[in-house]
Amino acid sequence: MHGKRTLIQSIMLGAAILVLLLFCLFPFIQILSTSFKYQFDWGNPSLIPQKLNTDAYKELLGFTEKKKQEIPESIKRLLDNPLLPEDKKLQILNKYQSAGDVFPFIRYFINSFLLSVVAAFISLILSIFGAYSFSRLRYKGRTVIQRSVLFVYMVGGVLLLVPLYQMSVKLGLATGMWGAVLSLLLVYIIQTLPVSLYMLGNYFRTIPYSLEEAAAMDGCSRVESIFRIILPLSVPMLVTVFVYCFIIAWNEFLFASVYLKQFPNFYTLPLGLQSLFVSKNAIWDRIMSASMLTLVPVVICFMFAMKHLTGSLVEGGVKE
Amino acid sequence: MQVTLSQKESRLGWKLITPAIGVIGILIIYPILYNIYLSFFDVKLAGDNIFVGLANYERLLTESGFYDSLVTTVIYLAGSITGTTLLGLAVALLMNLQFPFRNIVRAIILLPYFAPVISVVFGWQFFFDPVNGIYNHAAVEMLGLTDNRYNLIGNPGSALVIVIIFSIWKNFPISYLLIISKLQSINRDQYEAAAMDGCGPAARFFHVTLPEIYFVLGTLVILRLIWNLNKFEEVFLLAPNVKTLPVYTYYTAFTGIIDQGYAAAISVVQFLFLSFLIIFYVKKVLKW
Repeated sequence: MHGKRTLIQSIMLGAAILVLLLFCLFPFIQILSTSFKYQFDWGNPSLIPQKLNTDAYKELLGFTEKKKQEIPESIKRLLDNPLLPEDKKLQILNKYQSAGDVFPFIRYFINSFLLSVVAAFISLILSIFGAYSFSRLRYKGRTVIQRSVLFVYMVGGVLLLVPLYQMSVKLGLATGMWGAVLSLLLVYIIQTLPVSLYMLGNYFRTIPYSLEEAAAMDGCSRVESIFRIILPLSVPMLVTVFVYCFIIAWNEFLFASVYLKQFPNFYTLPLGLQSLFVSKNAIWDRIMSASMLTLVPVVICFMFAMKHLTGSLVEGGVKE
Repeated sequence: MQVTLSQKESRLGWKLITPAIGVIGILIIYPILYNIYLSFFDVKLAGDNIFVGLANYERLLTESGFYDSLVTTVIYLAGSITGTTLLGLAVALLMNLQFPFRNIVRAIILLPYFAPVISVVFGWQFFFDPVNGIYNHAAVEMLGLTDNRYNLIGNPGSALVIVIIFSIWKNFPISYLLIISKLQSINRDQYEAAAMDGCGPAARFFHVTLPEIYFVLGTLVILRLIWNLNKFEEVFLLAPNVKTLPVYTYYTAFTGIIDQGYAAAISVVQFLFLSFLIIFYVKKVLKW
């Protein structure tokens, strides 16, 4: 820490950093490498593919032609019949083309994306007002609220698994398609709400009261000052909280597996990936490229919000 | 009616907090209580639940599955928390030194923490894959440590070790972040003074650094206990045969002979442990 390092010290430091980087990045490199490998190459410990295989990515992103399924002659003749309405024809064709071994990556991606964005957005809106209330307004019961927020934010999702599922069953939500999706959305909102309340509350406290007092003199009401003073000053933090909530929902697997098991059309990416892995169509290059594509949005979000994210994590806003 | 300013503030406060409180009340507080209620019932997936009193808890005390799961959980917690904290500390000390590209390195080592569990587990599974994995290639062909290729994740005993290593890999960044932010606040004069007193690097660490970060380390251990006790994905997705309490609850509630009343009882026990930890954290660390 003080003075110049000797050559040996520098080398040791460099080696330690390299080992650390390798430890952190190796699983990612492994995923990237295998996603580009052909099957004959899997057992080869070298991380550089002998022959570049991009089929898996093309298939997942829908760049390859849909595999023509075998259509029986009799059906073909039926399809050639000009009297048959177009939509009927499509229906029949679809029946033969819904190939079980295609991993509908884009569909899962959209499901995950919509669920995460909506949950993060609702959570953010609720917590903006909630956090403003307990961090900047004085009233009886405020301390109790603050403490309860902290308490629930440490209660993990798995503890609520059985009761939440039973509640949806009792309300008749768990068996219907949209009911299940709604339940899952609510679950994502409550998994993110306590932490966003906590993070925003901590941030709002740092904004000087004098700004709001000055606004009040100019005839600004408290509610107006939320929109005119607090929110504009908190934009980076709002983005951070949104991204953090998005990542939590995007990564979630447990509740998705419980609620959506019977509705493959609504699978989120983690659920889809898991079911691909345990299915007979588990092919490493496909799994790895799907993993890679699931990772990318998170890494992008992370780079986008890193500066504020790490800062607010240090201040205690961590939810796992 | 005349309304004072503080009454106005109080009304607004409640108005703004009500939606959030409502959601938390209905979807977190109520389920916690409902869970306790369910633990006294034989929960039917269709039809009415049957009150069974303490039968679910009696079963808990007699079933070896629960004890096994408890032991697994304790080993998992002990291993992962020790590892995460020590590695976090080591990395924080390393990152506190000056070296080129330090900012990039600091950003890169946070990746394991943010990456989706579902993606990274496949990298780990491939690494330990008995047929294709580099681990078996290195252990058998290159180093000759063992004669046969082993499926380490397939065997619950060795899988637990891998789950612990995975947990350390995944979570050390947050320990590192919290420790380094404390390290950077230590006054440099203290090191100068210690150096003048003839303290070497090791002595400086034990006499200056450690007392300063002692509190952070304690906080981290408690928080990690709370978090890891709740972990499901990091265990289940990597090695479904390692049955920590959350995984055991999941199996009981949703697979095989489904028994959600019993699963509720397991959750209640876990909740009691957790509440104890949280109260300890709040009292000792946050000093309420």
